[in-house]
Amino acid sequence: MANEPLPPFSSSVRLKYVKLGYQYLVNHILTFILIPIIVGISIELARVGPDEILSLLRFLNDLDLIYVMSTLFLVIIVGTVYFMSRPRPVYLVDYACFRPKPNFRVPFSTFLEHARLVPQFDERTVRFQVKILERSGLGEETCLPPANHYIPPTCSMAAARSEAELVIFSAIDELLNKTGMRPKNIDILIVNCSLFSPTPSLSAMIVNKYKLRSNILSFNLSGMGCSAGLISLDLARDLLQAHGNSNALVVSTEIITPNYYLGKERAMLLPNCLFRMGAAAVLLSNCRRERSRAKYRLTHVVRTHKGADDAAYRCVFQEQDSEGLTGINLSKDLMAIAGDALKSNITTMGPLVLPASEQLLFLFSLIARKVFKAKWKPYIPDFRLAFEHFCIHAGGRAVIDELQKNLQLSDQHVEASRMALHRFGNTSSSSLWYELNYIESKGRMKKGDRVWMIGFGSGFKCNSAVWKCLKTIKTPVDGPWSTSIHRYPVDVPAVVKVL
Amino acid sequence: MEFLATLTTLLLLFSLLLICKYYYLKIHSHCYLIDYACFKPASDRQITTQTSGEIIERNKTLGLSEYKFLLKVIVNSGIGEETYGPRNIIEGREDSPTFDDAMLEMDEFLNVSVGDLFAKTKISPSDVDVLVLNISMFSPAPSLTSRIVQRHKMREDVKTYNLSGMGCSASLISVDLVRNIFKSGKKTLALVVTSESISPNWYSGNDKSMMLGNCLFRSGGCVMLLTNNPSMRARAKMSLKCLVRTHIGGNDDAYNCAIQKEDDVDRVGFHLSKGLPKAAVRAFAENLQHLAPKILPYRELALYMYRSIKQLIVKPKDASNSAMARINFKSGVDHFCLHTGGSAVIDAVGRALGLSKYDVEPARMTLHRWGNTSASSLWYVLGYMEAKRRLRKGDRVLMISFGAGFKCNSCLWEVNADLRDADVWEDCIKNYPPQTLVNPYLEKYGWVNEDTEETFNRAQRMEALRR
Repeated sequence: MANEPLPPFSSSVRLKYVKLGYQYLVNHILTFILIPIIVGISIELARVGPDEILSLLRFLNDLDLIYVMSTLFLVIIVGTVYFMSRPRPVYLVDYACFRPKPNFRVPFSTFLEHARLVPQFDERTVRFQVKILERSGLGEETCLPPANHYIPPTCSMAAARSEAELVIFSAIDELLNKTGMRPKNIDILIVNCSLFSPTPSLSAMIVNKYKLRSNILSFNLSGMGCSAGLISLDLARDLLQAHGNSNALVVSTEIITPNYYLGKERAMLLPNCLFRMGAAAVLLSNCRRERSRAKYRLTHVVRTHKGADDAAYRCVFQEQDSEGLTGINLSKDLMAIAGDALKSNITTMGPLVLPASEQLLFLFSLIARKVFKAKWKPYIPDFRLAFEHFCIHAGGRAVIDELQKNLQLSDQHVEASRMALHRFGNTSSSSLWYELNYIESKGRMKKGDRVWMIGFGSGFKCNSAVWKCLKTIKTPVDGPWSTSIHRYPVDVPAVVKVL
Repeated sequence: MEFLATLTTLLLLFSLLLICKYYYLKIHSHCYLIDYACFKPASDRQITTQTSGEIIERNKTLGLSEYKFLLKVIVNSGIGEETYGPRNIIEGREDSPTFDDAMLEMDEFLNVSVGDLFAKTKISPSDVDVLVLNISMFSPAPSLTSRIVQRHKMREDVKTYNLSGMGCSASLISVDLVRNIFKSGKKTLALVVTSESISPNWYSGNDKSMMLGNCLFRSGGCVMLLTNNPSMRARAKMSLKCLVRTHIGGNDDAYNCAIQKEDDVDRVGFHLSKGLPKAAVRAFAENLQHLAPKILPYRELALYMYRSIKQLIVKPKDASNSAMARINFKSGVDHFCLHTGGSAVIDAVGRALGLSKYDVEPARMTLHRWGNTSASSLWYVLGYMEAKRRLRKGDRVLMISFGAGFKCNSCLWEVNADLRDADVWEDCIKNYPPQTLVNPYLEKYGWVNEDTEETFNRAQRMEALRR
């Protein structure tokens, strides 16, 4: 993806106003056309005079009743069938994130001490992990599950199940309290957790705990990476199109307990440093009565799968190291592949969300380059015109930096992602919801705002979802940021010295 | 006057257009099975009675009662001599399965079956819009769906779903997922892959409830192509009429009756409790309650109502049990694909539905030839029926499966044309059904039912086995 901006002359003030004028003209073209038409009609009416209008009305009265009735009837039929065949809207009624308790905190000093005491780690491995942590963008309040606080960590299945119960049930409890939704009214349940998949599934665990109905449509997605939350949203949306008047509960989480890597392979130690405990529960609905209290409406979901390319497939790969220990190997060209996947994703997303002005500019630039062979740089559409807020998966500092550069976003646009990474760490598929909650907690979410959620995951996938805010969110917001929002934003230095 | 006439005509045309569009969408909510391909593992992966005995012998933690228990399970399982297992177990490494072993087992299935199906149907992988995979007990990152996308170079906008942990009834859950996506009306082609992973899930302890899984599960898998495109209807084998899912996980006993957990010494195994048959009955009954009205002809339903009302009036105490047996499912269904969970399961379901020996024969023979291949077992049973030329145009096939959670899922297919593709049954279908269903395990290990503690001598028995 070309990172260089347009040629320097665009920074001149005069051209900036020309650009603004052009955007205003193209995006409001319909208004500009309608105004002269309305003016013309009113002039015509004024000229004709009131008598002629009255005679027209009397003419209509003389017609047979049957004609008028049949016309009216047809209009009604047409209107009904038209409205019935439109896709159902998908509303986000509310969502809740897991709020980790302070006793699960892993400040840098704890991480260092812990790593030193684990018998399987030698000095070199410890220093490497600490070096990663110093540059990771994580803060001192990120949390790990109870099993990881043992020395060495107790990675049993029972411990993994109890972590799953802790994070998932507390998120769902909070969501059910907030929305007042009765468990029996949930029609669809989708759970995604990449690295822990017991039998019976986590979805069956939720059905058991909340006594959900026996004809529930439950699906348990696993192994799909950090963008699986958006995959679950896509599935929920498809299911809500097929079933009217339904409520869907989507639970996104990542269970850390069974995935602690105790080996020496460097690329596999990264997840130890970055992944943290988190979960989000989201209630979606297509019931019309929920519209009045729904926070957002889902407008688009675009999924891109680059698995056909071998390098992309192997860049996040679970495998065994030379000692037989299983871990997730992150390759060095992860950033390049992520950029490429993003480019494919926004190629599909662009035409759906960009205003006409940007699309035309992109089209002109494309025609000029291809047809007239002009030596211009490819025009990167300005996505800031399409969205007010951006939630970029907090995969790591490098991912956020790369996306900020590629999409030419300001620091405020990526603030939510950076601060979520700092406060909660990389919580995988639920990170997008922590970021959304940050934006709400800062009082920045207004009615009509559009939010773009972008997630990356193993495979290699880049998925994005677009939400439209239906009502202004008032502060203070009761959520995972309640106790810490007043301290944010913080300035995250490039390197935090631990040793 | 003319203005109104024109307006009326225009509106009429437009309304006709919209009504056509609405019906077009409704028609598109069909689900056709274009074709399916079951997996036949390599012949060096066969588990014979001899191999089974050796594998059990290798487990040094077993005492007499566990040993007897295991052999009794094998003897009564209904499994034959030609079932297949994963390589690491056959090579003696069942105690220490590696990640690569599990991946190899999956690769052997995926590399063969997916390509075979594309070749058989002459459809290109880049035409696939939706890919759903369900493998309960192995879920690597990136997912196995990504592995298929990578190998077959599928499109960037392919929708993949990797279901995991959903038990032995998950293949119908995958079909349900695809069916729901089809309802959107857009012409879609879906690839469904179903299998189970055995390599990493061997239980090497001595808890009896967890050893059952070792004895019963065998390697197998199936790949299917589904579509809602009416232009492909002519080449489709079957079309889906209805699908009913029942999940009784809300009941604690049902949830805990089939669960993966650690035993007393922290070895992971799949625990099957004594309450499993009861949970299965409950789930089955509830599923049938929802299924029967959808698949039975009105005459049968009316008769059932008449009989139950009569019974309630005449003998109000003897209610539901006999009433359920009185519904004749064969009035709305011609063939039954029963989940091959074990001979006890097949017998119980057969009795509940009032089925004859002919009706349960496909399930029994599949259990004998392939063992319990978990989610893909239904498709082997279907393959048997097809190989035996039982499936004629217009026939209705009912699939019933059970799984951990506890779930009971069922669906009804209608056959599109006379089917005659023997697929994986080709080389052995003429041997089925055998004149006598000789149980090779009974012959070899029948002594286990008579032996007592005092006379038990492990070394002597091993001698007997080796002869």
